[in-house]
Amino acid sequence: MHILLIEDDTEAARVLVKELRESGYTVDHAADGREGLSRALAGKFDLIVTDRMLPHIDGLTIIQQLRGARLATPVLVLSALGTVDDRIRGLKAGGDDYLTKPFAFAELLARIEALLRRRPSAAESTVLRVADLEFDLIARKVARAGREIELTSREQKLLEFLMRRAGQVVTRTMLLEGVWDLHFDPQSNLVDVHISRLRQAIDRGAERLLIHTVRGSGYVLKEEED
Amino acid sequence: MKDARRWGLFNTSAFRMSMGYTLLVALAVCVTLGSTYLLTQSIIQGDVDLIIDTELRSLENQYVRSGIPGVTQEINLRIDSWGRIGAVYMLAGPKFDRLAGNVTNWPFDGAPAEPWPEFRIESIEPGQRSVHPVRAGVRKLPNGDWLLVGTDMSQDRRYVRTFQIATLWGIGLSILVAAVAGFSFSFRLARRVADVTDTCVRIMSGEQGHRLPVVGTSDEFDALATSVNRVLDRLEEQTRTLRATFDSVAHDLRAPLHRLRTRMDAVLRLPALESGIREPVESALREVDRLQRTLATLLQIALAESGAPLASPTPVDVGELADELVELFEPVARERGLTLTGRADHGVIVEGNRQLLAQLITNLLENALKYVPSGGRIDVAVKRLADRGHLIISDNGPGMPAEERMRAGQPFALVGQRSGLQSSGLGLSLVSAIARLHRARLALESNDPGLRAVVSLPLSEPQASPASLSRSMSA
Repeated sequence: MHILLIEDDTEAARVLVKELRESGYTVDHAADGREGLSRALAGKFDLIVTDRMLPHIDGLTIIQQLRGARLATPVLVLSALGTVDDRIRGLKAGGDDYLTKPFAFAELLARIEALLRRRPSAAESTVLRVADLEFDLIARKVARAGREIELTSREQKLLEFLMRRAGQVVTRTMLLEGVWDLHFDPQSNLVDVHISRLRQAIDRGAERLLIHTVRGSGYVLKEEED
Repeated sequence: MKDARRWGLFNTSAFRMSMGYTLLVALAVCVTLGSTYLLTQSIIQGDVDLIIDTELRSLENQYVRSGIPGVTQEINLRIDSWGRIGAVYMLAGPKFDRLAGNVTNWPFDGAPAEPWPEFRIESIEPGQRSVHPVRAGVRKLPNGDWLLVGTDMSQDRRYVRTFQIATLWGIGLSILVAAVAGFSFSFRLARRVADVTDTCVRIMSGEQGHRLPVVGTSDEFDALATSVNRVLDRLEEQTRTLRATFDSVAHDLRAPLHRLRTRMDAVLRLPALESGIREPVESALREVDRLQRTLATLLQIALAESGAPLASPTPVDVGELADELVELFEPVARERGLTLTGRADHGVIVEGNRQLLAQLITNLLENALKYVPSGGRIDVAVKRLADRGHLIISDNGPGMPAEERMRAGQPFALVGQRSGLQSSGLGLSLVSAIARLHRARLALESNDPGLRAVVSLPLSEPQASPASLSRSMSA
């Protein structure tokens, strides 16, 4: 997977490039907006990670130019501007995700993974399946090994979010944004408590656990433990 | 709405003032025309009386000079076209029988009591029969005969009548003109004031690019609009500067924090990290995150105070939002041994920013979660009271002393010296900034025992501007 990182903060960029390469990605780095835009337009990248405030051409203009050139490459915006309105403006300009600085590297990695794995929503299946866990999206019924599991509608939404990203690490902020539509950071350990309740309902008595905690990052729903 | 607007016009000071002036004009016109009328009438009557008196005296003189025959001759002479037009004469005996003159019968019952008696004469002129009012003077001659001299008043009466009608028309028309002028004046005035208040309401609700209309008549309203617009330009400029400052502060503080965090993150990811190093780095990282959160909250407070986040408000159902958050927090509360309940009416819709309102409820809930000891209860209620939505979050915890409740909304007000609990009070400052941004009133009350936070929000109105217009006009 080939990633273009557009970031003028060379110190931060150096560390990020190194970490991303260690995580198995091929990374190109552009240090300002003009260079970033020309490389984004020329090269075949699977993902672009861009800072919002850049010399010469800012991040949002880069996205608009890309979209104007009919390039659908997913873009993750990094920004030191973290209000809700900034975020909305970033997404409206055509960005696919928005991350406020400073962030944990694990958060960035999880979001990069989510964007790269996102598939065009063709031929959506109406039943989600992970191992022996089944979620019938039409009947809104969840069953584990054929045994029906009672869940509240919010727990169903949480489970659906995890099942659609089965095998991917999902962070707490991704869950707050995706399940509860909250774009700020409450101090309480809300997500952990809800996940542990969901885990009780799904994994209790089962011989193989499906919901796993990834230390320092978040959660992943998958069949096997590594 | 339309009615409210029309009644609003009657309530303006301009309308009341023009009504007052209309009444004053009406009074002045009435007095002027009325006194002219009365004066004219008395002058006409005085002229008639003078003529009658003069003629009576000259006939009396005739009697002194040449007795009854002389008087008779004089009367006949005057009747035969030598006299005035409309003149009436009669000489009668002591029993009021006619001796001479152009009246057939004595018109009174004996001698009249009043000095200027009046009577009517019926005359048949070719074609029509008419009645003439006559004003007369009567004298008793020394020999006991009666002398009567009168004047046909029909001409004068017609004149006075015409004058009367003209006076009434004059009064009526001038009142009408004054009223119409006053009404249109106050209507124009009210409309321009309404333009101003309307614009102000729009600007306050976030449309900061709006300006007062300058019509180009260079009157005092244009002068007012121009200077208000200048103030607004200045304010917008300041907001922009402030916003730019926030952005650069945010950037300049976050960028080094980001570098710091990225490096520490990288250290923690080193495979061969000694546990003696991992532990302090992890705790330092937690401090960085706390610092970052405080910075984010501060920036959010400053931004909320600037009014910028409401530039594009959307309708938010506060009841639904409160229910969602209660559902989100309920397991956390239960984990801490607290009971969290929600009783929210849905359909309590507020124009605002959903994320900020969620943050407001979250901060109040987390505040309660932090202070209420295990076994306590927290209750969230949303209800509609008249034209406001009330969000009430109450608990039965230790509460807050009165003076702290007063200070709680200010940034960095240290709420309570509760040891072990780290709270700079920023959470409540953000709550009060978000409340102000939504034109809501925040009250922290005693729940006896415990704390009750009441946020009273103005509900969104489908036609916000006309309603606020009539309200501000009648205010």
